[in-house]
Amino acid sequence: MEIIFGDVVTGVHGDDFEYLFSWQAGGPVSFKVDGREWLYRAPRPAVWRATTDNDRGNGFPIKSAMWLGADMFAACSKTELSVDGETVAKPLSPDNNAYGGPVQAETMTMTYTYTLPVVPATTVTVAYTVTPDGAIGVTVHYEGKEGLPELPAFGLRFIMPTPAKGFTYEGLSGETYPDRMAGGEPGEYTVEGMPVTPYLVPQDCGMHMRTKRVMVTRDAVLDNSRRDERDEFSLTFAQAEGAEPFAFSCLPYTPEEIENATHHNELPPVRRTVLTVCGAVRGVGGIDSWGSDVRPDFHIDAQQDHEFTFVIKP
Amino acid sequence: MDGASSMQSADLSWLDRPDVFRVNRLDAHSDHRCYATQGEAERDSSGLIMPLDGTWKFKYSPNPQARPAGFYRQAEAPADFDDIEVPGHIEIAGYDANQYINTMYPWEGHVYRRPAGLTEGDPGVGAFSDAADNPVGSYMRTFTLPEHMQGERIHVVFEGVEQAFYLWLNGHFVGYAEDSFTPSEFDLTPYINETGTNTIACEVFKRSTAAWIEDQDFFRFFGIFRPVKLVALPKLHVEDISVRSLLDDDLRTGAITVDMRLSAKEASCLAGATAEVSVIDPQGNRIASQTSSPEQDGDATLAFTGIADPQLWDNGSPNLYRVDVRLIDASGDVCEVAQVDTGFRKLVRDGVKVSLNGHRLYILGVNRHEWNADSGRSITVDDMKHDIDVMLRNNINAVRTCHYPDRLEWYRLCDRNGIYVMAETNLESHGTWQKMGAVEPSYNVPGNSSVWEKVVVDRAVTQYETLKNHPSILFWSMGNESYAGTAIAAMDAYYKSKDDGRLTHYEGVVHNRAFEDVISDLESRMYDPPEGARAYMSSNPKKPYILCEFMHDMGNSLGGFGDYMDLFDDFEGFLGGFIWDYIDQQLYAPDPLTGEKTLCYGGDFDDRCSDYEFSGDGLLFADRTEKPAMQEVKYYYGRYADGNHIR
Repeated sequence: MEIIFGDVVTGVHGDDFEYLFSWQAGGPVSFKVDGREWLYRAPRPAVWRATTDNDRGNGFPIKSAMWLGADMFAACSKTELSVDGETVAKPLSPDNNAYGGPVQAETMTMTYTYTLPVVPATTVTVAYTVTPDGAIGVTVHYEGKEGLPELPAFGLRFIMPTPAKGFTYEGLSGETYPDRMAGGEPGEYTVEGMPVTPYLVPQDCGMHMRTKRVMVTRDAVLDNSRRDERDEFSLTFAQAEGAEPFAFSCLPYTPEEIENATHHNELPPVRRTVLTVCGAVRGVGGIDSWGSDVRPDFHIDAQQDHEFTFVIKP
Repeated sequence: MDGASSMQSADLSWLDRPDVFRVNRLDAHSDHRCYATQGEAERDSSGLIMPLDGTWKFKYSPNPQARPAGFYRQAEAPADFDDIEVPGHIEIAGYDANQYINTMYPWEGHVYRRPAGLTEGDPGVGAFSDAADNPVGSYMRTFTLPEHMQGERIHVVFEGVEQAFYLWLNGHFVGYAEDSFTPSEFDLTPYINETGTNTIACEVFKRSTAAWIEDQDFFRFFGIFRPVKLVALPKLHVEDISVRSLLDDDLRTGAITVDMRLSAKEASCLAGATAEVSVIDPQGNRIASQTSSPEQDGDATLAFTGIADPQLWDNGSPNLYRVDVRLIDASGDVCEVAQVDTGFRKLVRDGVKVSLNGHRLYILGVNRHEWNADSGRSITVDDMKHDIDVMLRNNINAVRTCHYPDRLEWYRLCDRNGIYVMAETNLESHGTWQKMGAVEPSYNVPGNSSVWEKVVVDRAVTQYETLKNHPSILFWSMGNESYAGTAIAAMDAYYKSKDDGRLTHYEGVVHNRAFEDVISDLESRMYDPPEGARAYMSSNPKKPYILCEFMHDMGNSLGGFGDYMDLFDDFEGFLGGFIWDYIDQQLYAPDPLTGEKTLCYGGDFDDRCSDYEFSGDGLLFADRTEKPAMQEVKYYYGRYADGNHIR
């Protein structure tokens, strides 16, 4: 595995993979595997979900409205790099003149800290650790702050350049939420396309709790020289060793796109894949739709720290 | 004026008078099946019935004054009449605007109204007979009696007309009826042309005083939305039959009692006639039969006692017996074969505990509106069969017919498939007492009004008399969200007077507990959180506890279901509940941009006021596919249904 110390981007290369971690865009801008791109834009913390009917009924989006801004406008406030366990204090120019070429390494970690525009402000750090097999270990940490309203979601959102053909996951059957997963049967499931559950008003949907791995499959790239290729290719997001299973949704839309639609035919044409890997999911509730809150065990307390880990495997 | 008056001419003012809700409408009777021959009975295809569904001539008028008054005198529809399909809603046919609204009355902010009849003679405010917001559908069609029906007594049955209608045959006024969700039957015999063309005509009004008690949370439609049929009564006919299957306490010995009311075309037909009554077991074996002589015995009451080890009816084993009645004239010819399904089941309330056939009863239920995204509340038997399959597949064992009686076929399907039914009377008046969430009953109907009491008790009588033989019905429900007063207490007393082993149900008495000893055998709640249920059941409860509505499945919901199911384990007085609700109410309409068929909801039709997406609370999407939450229902209900067998 070799590292390219660029002026704007730190690249890491290995057999069949090339990842570009940007110092300017506040996150990785490219995960290329076998020459195919997996990132449309740099991933960002996911701290909003498209409001559900029950959320609206109990006033949750009013209480937690500031997370919508944070979901859309989190700024990267700090970027750190370490290689083989050593912090690289001066990776960029002119210091990188000293490298004189690629640098061999066994491990590299880029850590991005995002300051979320909430009051009081808090941070999310996302650390990507690349190893020579191309695996990217990801750890996402939320810093709890007293006075912050409950979180609608806590995850990391990957937007992929073209729509998924489907995804295969090992977890629970159907769409599950922490307070609605007893009926989910463990197993391996393949979902065609990226179905948006046709709730009457478009809203958060498609969550899959207790997932051990999900493999997203696409068959198109934006690369104009390969535009006509339709070979399927996949990327897997998996439970990390010793870590808890995770939750995810794989949809064609961001929460903001869904939030704005009053009917499904108002949603835009499907152009991309929005994979959100979650470490904490708020329950959906169900006692009524005009005031009752989600049961206490299924809130996401923003005043406490939260952290989750998973691994991306080419 | 009595509600069941006999009148010779129609009067538009009946729309404004709560004391007039049926004119010449025949008394309700059991929904037993009648056939002309044994062969018809075996094919379940009755030659005594002639459907009048199909294309009718139709004229829409925006208000009563604009209607083509007197059109019924003509033998054929005027030239400016269109075609309309019956059954169906006038709105969905494109004549009037769809409106979805929940608690508010549909005229909220448009018309100032107060109900008539709060006290005797009180005319109320905001008449319906000259209202700008009361469109009229004028229907007409012709028919000719087939030869085999000629000479018989002919009735017409409208299975569902919303919300008030006047009926004429060949220019003669026949009758008037409200109560949109139960059959309205009239005798056409005096006016029928045996061999020539007959012209049947109706004026259907969107609003009448019935609107005050038909304020259900749904799309507000009008029109002939359920089938219409002619029925020929053979010269000897079973008008009504009440079959009761009784069990000894040890459930080992059964008895079936049969009470019949017969009618004859002419008294002389009874001479020498016999009624042969048989009991058929679930395997099709005739296990008993008796014969009575209507001429000597009058309306027969027969008892078949000592039926050993009867096969019990329940959710897991819906064993149906059948009572066959063959009416045979003096010359030995069969005039009519009548059939009723029945089942042996014993419902017992012991303090707060409820058992069925000696086992604890678990109500694993859903509230079900009749719905089809193409045709609204005008649904097909295939829709019903689909719904039964969904219920069986997902361990749902009970249905509340919110908040009106369903098409009759539904109850037969529930009998056959072991679905427990809470049969709800057509009554909902939450707009008269629930104001933006607050209880404010200053003009509540039916309340304590003696005028309205007659209306709602008639609805109870109609429901009871029509549906009394269905073993699937375990509960009579007085209605929904109508507050509580002497009128609903009278409904409860009526149902109890039938002493038929069923329990009565009504939730609204929790808002007026002065009536709790005379309304409802069950403590019924809606949307009580699990803690509320625990609090009631932990503090010396008076009644079994049931959630007539819970788990509001609006959008992405049904979280925390297990907290309710735990109540089964912790309280023997927890009877279960009915999830709100079974299917999203949405309508297909073309997308204005693309023309594609799209599912729409309240507000999508410029309907104001509207409650918008609040009608989407189903376990099924409006296209009848299951929502993801269904697997949770299947799982938790399955814990208590034990593979659709009572644990």
